[in-house]
Amino acid sequence: MDILDLGKDIDVLVNIEPEDLIPLPYPYDDPANEPLIKKLTDDQKKRYEASLDGVIAIGIPKPTTKEEEETFVRRFLSGLEKLLSLENNWTFLQPLYHSLEYCVKCQLCNDACPAYIASGRKEIYRPTYRPEILRRIINKYIKKKHPSLLKLTGSDIELNWQLVARLGELAYRCTLCRKCAQVCPLGVDNGLISHEIRKIFSQEMGIAPKELHESGTMQQLKTGSSTGITPKALANIIEFMEEEIEEKTGKKIKIPVDKEGADILLIHNAGEFISWPENTMAFAIIFDAAHIDWTLSSDLAGYDAVNYGVWYDDIQLARIARRHAEIARALKVKKINVGECGHAHKAMIVVADRVLTGELNIPRESALPILADIVLNDRIKLDPSRNNFPVTLHDPCNMVRLMGIVEPQRQILRKICPQFREMEPHGVDNYCCGGGSGFAIMQSMNFPDWRSVVSGRIKLKQILEVFQDVISVDTKKYVCAPCSNCKGQIRDLFAFYNVFERCNILYGGLVELIVNAMVDIKKPFIEWEWR
Amino acid sequence: MPLNHVDFMEIFIAILTYFAYIFIVVAYTVKIVKYLKLPIHLRWELYPVIHEDAYHYGGSCFENTNWWEKPRKIRNIKGFLWLLKDYFTLHDYLKQNLFYWLGLYPWHIGFIFIITFHILCFFGALFMVSGISISHNSQDILGIIIYYAILFTGVLSFISGAIGSIIILINRVIDKNLKTYASPLQFLTYIFTLIVFLSGLYSWYYVDPKLEEYREFWVGLLTFNFIGVETATMVHIILFDLFLIYLPFTRSLHYITRFFAFFLIRWDDKPNIRGGDMEKRIAGQFENRINWSGPHIITGKSWREQ
Repeated sequence: MDILDLGKDIDVLVNIEPEDLIPLPYPYDDPANEPLIKKLTDDQKKRYEASLDGVIAIGIPKPTTKEEEETFVRRFLSGLEKLLSLENNWTFLQPLYHSLEYCVKCQLCNDACPAYIASGRKEIYRPTYRPEILRRIINKYIKKKHPSLLKLTGSDIELNWQLVARLGELAYRCTLCRKCAQVCPLGVDNGLISHEIRKIFSQEMGIAPKELHESGTMQQLKTGSSTGITPKALANIIEFMEEEIEEKTGKKIKIPVDKEGADILLIHNAGEFISWPENTMAFAIIFDAAHIDWTLSSDLAGYDAVNYGVWYDDIQLARIARRHAEIARALKVKKINVGECGHAHKAMIVVADRVLTGELNIPRESALPILADIVLNDRIKLDPSRNNFPVTLHDPCNMVRLMGIVEPQRQILRKICPQFREMEPHGVDNYCCGGGSGFAIMQSMNFPDWRSVVSGRIKLKQILEVFQDVISVDTKKYVCAPCSNCKGQIRDLFAFYNVFERCNILYGGLVELIVNAMVDIKKPFIEWEWR
Repeated sequence: MPLNHVDFMEIFIAILTYFAYIFIVVAYTVKIVKYLKLPIHLRWELYPVIHEDAYHYGGSCFENTNWWEKPRKIRNIKGFLWLLKDYFTLHDYLKQNLFYWLGLYPWHIGFIFIITFHILCFFGALFMVSGISISHNSQDILGIIIYYAILFTGVLSFISGAIGSIIILINRVIDKNLKTYASPLQFLTYIFTLIVFLSGLYSWYYVDPKLEEYREFWVGLLTFNFIGVETATMVHIILFDLFLIYLPFTRSLHYITRFFAFFLIRWDDKPNIRGGDMEKRIAGQFENRINWSGPHIITGKSWREQ
């Protein structure tokens, strides 16, 4: 495939064929049994741009007239110009400038990209491909370099709506795991380029995956949560949690809500309340047993830590971050603790640090260190033999490579899981689950299949490899993923490949393992069933 | 009286050399200032961060409860030395792509030493102007050291740079990954650097085995008493001057911007403290008016008003 094919009138630029994919270990070592990515229907192909790789993440409607095509391109260029301006993009201008100007195209980053490797090295997924296209567009249409100079510097490109639409889709084939940036000797960040392209589409063209924008950040700001949970619904959920805790553990716990002046405001990814309520219950059980002074918030958005803005829109990022901080300020808590959600960690604690000023600059930290403190200092009584099954740890990129929280979760697992084992590579060198940067929640058409087959493939390979000696269904095994989006991705990945049935591997969070080991709880907290 | 050929060339190379050095300094300064004047950005660090205590496994202060209460220790020198050391090993390339490293390493060593060689020639000339003889049997130990340093760096750079230029050129041609993204300008650059290094090698081997002419040429530049040099040496000086003028148009500033990228982006974990300098800078950025036209954005209002 030639670089310039991106703008050519070709049905589908890249086809994902099972024989091209990197092989998986036993029992998935026969490519003939590889589940396929669903083909799009003729109607879907007719209505939406799907010519990149036969997959639709965003669902960009096809223009029907020449004028619409031209407007589409014009708006993209207008957005690109703003992306390069100080006023509109002070938030990332310096890192963007560096990555655009100083990449020497040595391709050292290629092998770090899970999507590129897993796909059998499809050109469009190469970490340097998107930046190359963007650089060429900038040279020709923004800097307006002379044609002969464009030829000399290899900046030939012809802009049309199809190229722009494909580039938009392509920005959603990178999980922003930034492993490519980590290996770059010159500090170039090709993941950031995907992030910045997404911003042009959202902030200028009003185009973003529905799950991230319309039912994501917009809904969160309007109704309180991207899950649709309203403050009223939350009250019911909390009541349900208290009943469940009593039924499962015999403990009568009153979950504190809106407690003014509490030491800690704990904010979960609200997806936990719906998909994995045992996680939020486990937090309540542990904090109660360790006598932590904590509270949840029932304020609008105060019970949902997610901030999808961090993946595609700086304005939405800032709005949500400030909303979270305002709630903490109103509650007069000493600090915010973020539950098991990787991107919320990164967004709230790190990225938003330079968005929160004055009284909104409330101390924020991860829940993992306090959990480590509780476990390592025996603030609750634990019996590791209750977790005597093989356990491995998935490192959420946002917490680990992007924040440096590496050890607390390991210290806990070493103490409470006798058969804890590491995947390779792990820690800051980990591979993304394949659901990063919003992918885990994006359910558009056949996109979930793509993230199972391509972006999540290396993670599945790692999980199968680490359990290879106990891979039979006779041994139950657990993947600990202390992040909601990673769990969502692993759930879909396992379902796609039928991993629970074929290998008896369950996934879940960290706190569930802690509660499972608590001596004063009679029944196992972890229920060994697929959900 | 009209200038004869030699006079003209002496003046020409002298002016070209002055111009080349002034040009590269000005051009690099402009680029560096532009880079450094870019506004403070949102935090976007990547771990391991060099000044963290738990750097060896990529850990950070966020592994502690109440991390903001712990004193923040910054040892910039550690990061500086780490980056500096990498210039002399190109360790990441060695680890991940040996074939590429085999060309890249001698090529870069060629650059590092040819710059060092010219700087040493300048200082050698300064010593000569102040009466210190530069030779292997100089009365002054400094004269002997400079003599051998010039010889060593010059010859090493010519050989290493020439070999590196050839290998890296071959790499870019036969490695599909590299070739796909290589521009015609990149190939021209490799050929140009090859010619620069080869001209130096030729001049040293056939004309000036002690590399004396360069020092004398620099003495001329320092005293404004320009001297003539052998044609081969003159060709190398002209090519090197053109190379200096050409450099700012390439991505060569990555030698310096790499430091910025690591210190200002990748390792930039400086927290925003209430009432601190950073907060003031951020507050300033919040007054910028946004022109984005997305339907959810209030176009024309500032970041603060969104």
